[in-house]
Amino acid sequence: MFGLYQMAFGGLTWGNILMLFVGGGLIYLGVAKKMESFLLLPMGVGIILVNIPFSGLMVYAMAEPGVIPLPASGGLQEIAEGKIGLLNLIYQYGLETEIIPLLIFLGLGAMADFSSAIARPLSFMFGATAQLGVFVVFLIAHLTGWFTINEAVCIGIIGGSDGPPTVYLAVAKASHLLGPITLVAYSYMALVPIIQPPIIRLLTTKKERQTYMKPQIREVSKLEKILFPIAVILIAGLFIPTCLPLVGMLMFGNLLSVTGVTDRLAASAGGVFIDVLTFLLGLTVGALMPAVVFLNPKTLMIIGLAIIAFAFSTAGGIWGAQIANLFLKEKVNPLIGAAGVSAVPMAARVAQVEGQKANPRNFLLMHAMGPNTAGCIATAVVAGIFMSMV
Amino acid sequence: MIDWELVARIAGGGFGSTLLLLAILCTVIWLIGFVIQKRASKR
Repeated sequence: MFGLYQMAFGGLTWGNILMLFVGGGLIYLGVAKKMESFLLLPMGVGIILVNIPFSGLMVYAMAEPGVIPLPASGGLQEIAEGKIGLLNLIYQYGLETEIIPLLIFLGLGAMADFSSAIARPLSFMFGATAQLGVFVVFLIAHLTGWFTINEAVCIGIIGGSDGPPTVYLAVAKASHLLGPITLVAYSYMALVPIIQPPIIRLLTTKKERQTYMKPQIREVSKLEKILFPIAVILIAGLFIPTCLPLVGMLMFGNLLSVTGVTDRLAASAGGVFIDVLTFLLGLTVGALMPAVVFLNPKTLMIIGLAIIAFAFSTAGGIWGAQIANLFLKEKVNPLIGAAGVSAVPMAARVAQVEGQKANPRNFLLMHAMGPNTAGCIATAVVAGIFMSMV
Repeated sequence: MIDWELVARIAGGGFGSTLLLLAILCTVIWLIGFVIQKRASKR
């Protein structure tokens, strides 16, 4: 302006302008449609912030896989002068170190109620079969030749529809794709009520969907609730140690809430603590999407592959329940298997709504919460397996 | 260049390990519940 300082207009590209609309669209979806507002709104703001040139909130560097955030390794003066942005700092110290996704999982553990899964342990099998989409899409992504093994596992894990394990794995294995992967994962999680019903109807008969299940689940004692997180930590940790950062945090958070002696800690972990981490995650992930990173064919491929992952995961859960029904005396409604896709609690609500449409007497929500919460553990386990195998 | 052996190990072995671990978890949680319920009914 008047030769005194640089305005952003001159640096704006068509890509930036398009991304400003994408950011605006996410804010609209978060505010007006209330879709995953806690994440889509900060992500939208983050996208807008980084697509206005010369703002210095997130400074990028060219690197081997593409454009990546500049490491915040300079001195305090460089930070103060805006050569290293505020969001670079949050990214490096919060995300690159995996602190944010892991602590979010702790908060989720404090908020989660695993009673349904404990009352019907078979839920864990539905949670496991609902990981099918993760592995199918890993195969498809890698066999297309477009994605390396590391990138393919990160795209596959979107099918687990669990945010923190997706972010955790993407940061470790394909950090240059973290922005698109996280955006797609959380967007599709919000779209579970739209994505799942057609797949459910395609794979189940009306008679199956009508299967009646008694509304009550067995009452779970406090001792069982306390032993549960300890057992999960021991078993998961001994068999697949690399899943322990995620599973350990989730179960530690849960232990805080079920013991009854650390209520204040549980309330903090599931309250302001997780809220702060969530908007830092959203803002930083949004800031990972400047036009040069987001607008490329790989992003479109990720969008397409993720929906396949969701479809196969839903199918895996349903097939798991259908196979179990071959052996069970008291049949389960296969809709609860679809809730093994761990978008909590949306996938369980879908089972409830679809179940009631088929049979108004059905009240499947509590039954579906079992596979739903077990799916969280299963996705964390898969992330741990990928961490050790890739 | 696709390393078929690694791909098969990740897809097959990974999914298999997930199923196996969750099956173990399912059994242990069922067992804990069974023992606790049995003890409670005895009391």
